[in-house]
Amino acid sequence: MKLKKGLAVALTATMAFSTLTGCSNNGSNNETTTNGTTPSETTSVAESTSATETTGNAVVADNGIEPCTIEFWHAMSNKQEEELTALTDKFNAENEYGITVNLTNQGAYKDLSSKLTANAAADTLPDLAQAYNNWLSAYSDKLVHLDDFVANDFDNWDDIVAGYRDENSQFGFISGVPFNKSTYVLFYNKTMFDELGLSAPLTWDELLEVAKVIKDEKGIEAIGWDDLAGMFQAMLVQNGCGYIDETGALFDNEKGLETVEYIMNLYNNGYARLVGEDKYFSNVISNQLIASYVGSSTGASYITADGWELGVAPLVSNTEMAANAAGTNIVMFSQDTNKQKAAWEYLKFLTSAESTTEWAMATGYLPVRTSAYESETYQTFMATDPTSVAAYSQSAYFISQPAFEGSYDVMTAISNTLEEQILNEADAQTTLDALVKAVNDILQK
Amino acid sequence: MEKKSMKGYIYLMPALIVILLFTAYPLIRAFLMSFYEDYNMISGEYSRIGLGNYKDLFGDKDFTKALRNTSIYVVFVVPCSIALSLLIAVLLNSNIKCQGLFQTIFFLPYVTSVIAIGLVWSWIFNSNYGLLNIILSWFGIDKVQWLNKPKYALPSLIIFSVWKSMAFDILIFLAGLQTIPKDLYNASRVDSTPRWRVFWKITVPGIAPMISYAFIMGFISAFKVYNEVFSLWGGKAGPANSAITVVYYIYDKFYNSHNYGLASAAAVILFLIILVLTIVQRMMGRKK
Amino acid sequence: MSKKRKIMNIIATVLKYAILILGALFTLMPFLWMIISSLKTPAEITAIPPKLLPSVPQWSNYAEAWKAAPFPRYFLNTIIVTIFSTIGVLATAILSAFAFSRLNFPGKKLVFSLFLATLMIPGEMLIITNFITITKLKWIDTYQAMIVPYMSNVFYIYLLTQFFSQVPDSLYLAAKVDKCSDFKFMMKIMVPMNKSAITTIAILNIIGCWNSFLWPLLVTNDRNMRVISNGLVRFQTEAGSDYQLIMAASTIMVMPIIIVYLFLRKYIIEGVTQSGLKS
Repeated sequence: MKLKKGLAVALTATMAFSTLTGCSNNGSNNETTTNGTTPSETTSVAESTSATETTGNAVVADNGIEPCTIEFWHAMSNKQEEELTALTDKFNAENEYGITVNLTNQGAYKDLSSKLTANAAADTLPDLAQAYNNWLSAYSDKLVHLDDFVANDFDNWDDIVAGYRDENSQFGFISGVPFNKSTYVLFYNKTMFDELGLSAPLTWDELLEVAKVIKDEKGIEAIGWDDLAGMFQAMLVQNGCGYIDETGALFDNEKGLETVEYIMNLYNNGYARLVGEDKYFSNVISNQLIASYVGSSTGASYITADGWELGVAPLVSNTEMAANAAGTNIVMFSQDTNKQKAAWEYLKFLTSAESTTEWAMATGYLPVRTSAYESETYQTFMATDPTSVAAYSQSAYFISQPAFEGSYDVMTAISNTLEEQILNEADAQTTLDALVKAVNDILQK
Repeated sequence: MEKKSMKGYIYLMPALIVILLFTAYPLIRAFLMSFYEDYNMISGEYSRIGLGNYKDLFGDKDFTKALRNTSIYVVFVVPCSIALSLLIAVLLNSNIKCQGLFQTIFFLPYVTSVIAIGLVWSWIFNSNYGLLNIILSWFGIDKVQWLNKPKYALPSLIIFSVWKSMAFDILIFLAGLQTIPKDLYNASRVDSTPRWRVFWKITVPGIAPMISYAFIMGFISAFKVYNEVFSLWGGKAGPANSAITVVYYIYDKFYNSHNYGLASAAAVILFLIILVLTIVQRMMGRKK
Repeated sequence: MSKKRKIMNIIATVLKYAILILGALFTLMPFLWMIISSLKTPAEITAIPPKLLPSVPQWSNYAEAWKAAPFPRYFLNTIIVTIFSTIGVLATAILSAFAFSRLNFPGKKLVFSLFLATLMIPGEMLIITNFITITKLKWIDTYQAMIVPYMSNVFYIYLLTQFFSQVPDSLYLAAKVDKCSDFKFMMKIMVPMNKSAITTIAILNIIGCWNSFLWPLLVTNDRNMRVISNGLVRFQTEAGSDYQLIMAASTIMVMPIIIVYLFLRKYIIEGVTQSGLKS
């Protein structure tokens, strides 16, 4: 018995090994399988039924869609997952083509990202997945271009919030549709502000004034940012300055120096602080140890306002307005035309005004359509939810993280460099030089 | 020992098959990847074969910082953890009350959730109301910014890791202590040998193979430190990247930057360092 | 006994207990903290400065954590994977350790060094290639995908080799004289004599399996094939974590291991008395 089992294992292993070596002999330049060389069983069946188009740009035809199952990998949990399941069940029950969308939770974002990378390498990506553009730069060639779908079969792309349209075009084609979107807002201790006769700051100057009063009266810092790189990007844009692109830093100029000066002034005078050992500012504000902070709008549920009232305001602005958009989009990987069409039906459903409104109200994410913001249902909801009011007021100025090869490294470097300079209480010029060097060292090798 | 025959390989076969397929093969691939420049693991494309990744690697100050941090870390964590664990293991193995209870308690860190451990230690290290600073204040020492200041990041990581690796070492030493025949101790009791002599003459030689194991494994796993960093600072490598380690660097380059060639080159360098040190260690061990 | 010696003895005993109790407190703290935190409200868990005890224990956290994922199914999967992987690990470790410590074969030192060398590369580097292998074997969503790659562990092979080499050569030679086959010698003498080491390895491997997270997630897509550690991440989002629920789920997850440990502990401590075997 034992021997037999051992033999079986040995055999399978040798077989596996020979297939592997066989593969690497095929051409060292292209070790992993390319599109379509080893299609999984399901796709090969599907492909034989409707094999007009294969990959790349999908051409939308008027003919119907064959019943099929669409795999959708996501990272939603708890009430977000419940709502996603509810929406999907509704789609599965109501769509006229017999399309079934199968939801799979793949852990948290970090896990989903690793999982997508591994499956991209094995060429076994799902039909649909939630993703940040940053994850995708290594395999953006596997994304289905959605331009034709949007052009021919979408109810008003212009109704989608402008910032999201830009974000989903970062690769030079339409790579996805916005889904669970959030934005950075200013959470503040309204009770404390009222007591000091302050209102939420709207401009850089006001923020500085407010910070002085809070420092003098309460002896605590006025503000903090959960995401330093995001803060830097938004502030540069607010001051009419560029951030980064493939060629390097765009802020090595007068405007950039002004921005850094403003930031370092806040930190060096004790008006702002780093989150440090407290990990999230939501903990710090809950304990009234900071007067306000900038963080994701979905973080509202992690703030416990016990004995004080929480206020939410849009980000401050200077010569221009800018607010960071966050949250993932849904991208498509299916290689088979029928599945692409089926998946598109589902994406149309999820981004419809009705679905996105329902989704936003149930989860605290933001609607992806302007018409959804303006709908009566959502307006009623906004009356009870200050976070969404702040988010709506800045929805015309959303900016997103850049996504190109090396952009992740650059943003990490910016965040680390800023933190280092803040800890060193450095002056503005030193900080700016360090930031420019950190960025250009990576991008201009 | 009997004369050489191939019989040994029959015994090794099951382990060999698994290791060849699931460790050796990917390892060789990683080794090759380190020479592919601008390598995209997913498409399989690269610009050319050469030493470019290694050049980039040593030009990257994050990597040199990671190497420096990791070396300091290893030098402190491994000996401290082994010495303390040996002490505790010997005490646990001696004639004490509630032996079972103590043994179970010292085993617990090995099973406690990493997140819980991370949370508790960030509290212990907290500058304002953390346990460590409270204890230090009894001796008139000012508040230390353990997790906030780059210069304390590595010491915090080391203290935390010594604590964390002790459970494993204690478990190994306890098992090792059982192989020492009880009559040896009984004999020493009769001619009332001092305790420290018993420790050096009987205990240490008795578990010498386990100590050498703990040293070599300790070195290997200390060089691969990653999770400890992650749990202490909740997903970043300390303030301003000050506690970055080699594996943290590798992980970040591989999974976040998708810079597969660079990550592989870093892994190969780590491999070579550990390999050389292990050979030296084993040679030293043999001389004794 | 002289008086001086008596005093020394008392001091030694006091010192001994002082070290053990202090060490135990330090060691126990995170564990207790995990249990206490699992009973707190979200506000209590993030309170600054921290609150030691919850004002009202929130037992409902456990109910909420339990229903967040299909934990019974996850438990079953984890148990299956753990049992088979541990059996595999023990079998390969015993066989290999025996070969390395008792048998003489060409290239032995080289093979042993190569075995050790495989430990020197971080596992994170191997995962994607292994994932491709598993995909090619069509093992996605199977138990063997979670078991087979971890059926051999050099950490344990090395550990057991160290233990096996402690067994005196005289025993082996005696067995040879008695015409006892190698396999029989291994099973009848080496294994029972190193019961504590083998149990230790079993425990280490059980814990490793129980906690492994990324690999089971990678090789499964079917919700019914997931393991318990996959259930824990359901309480973390990009904006924060429900620590009280993570702690409750962690506590649920840890209990079976502690029970297994308590059950196996006596095998670790009660090593076989060698004097008994020698005669």
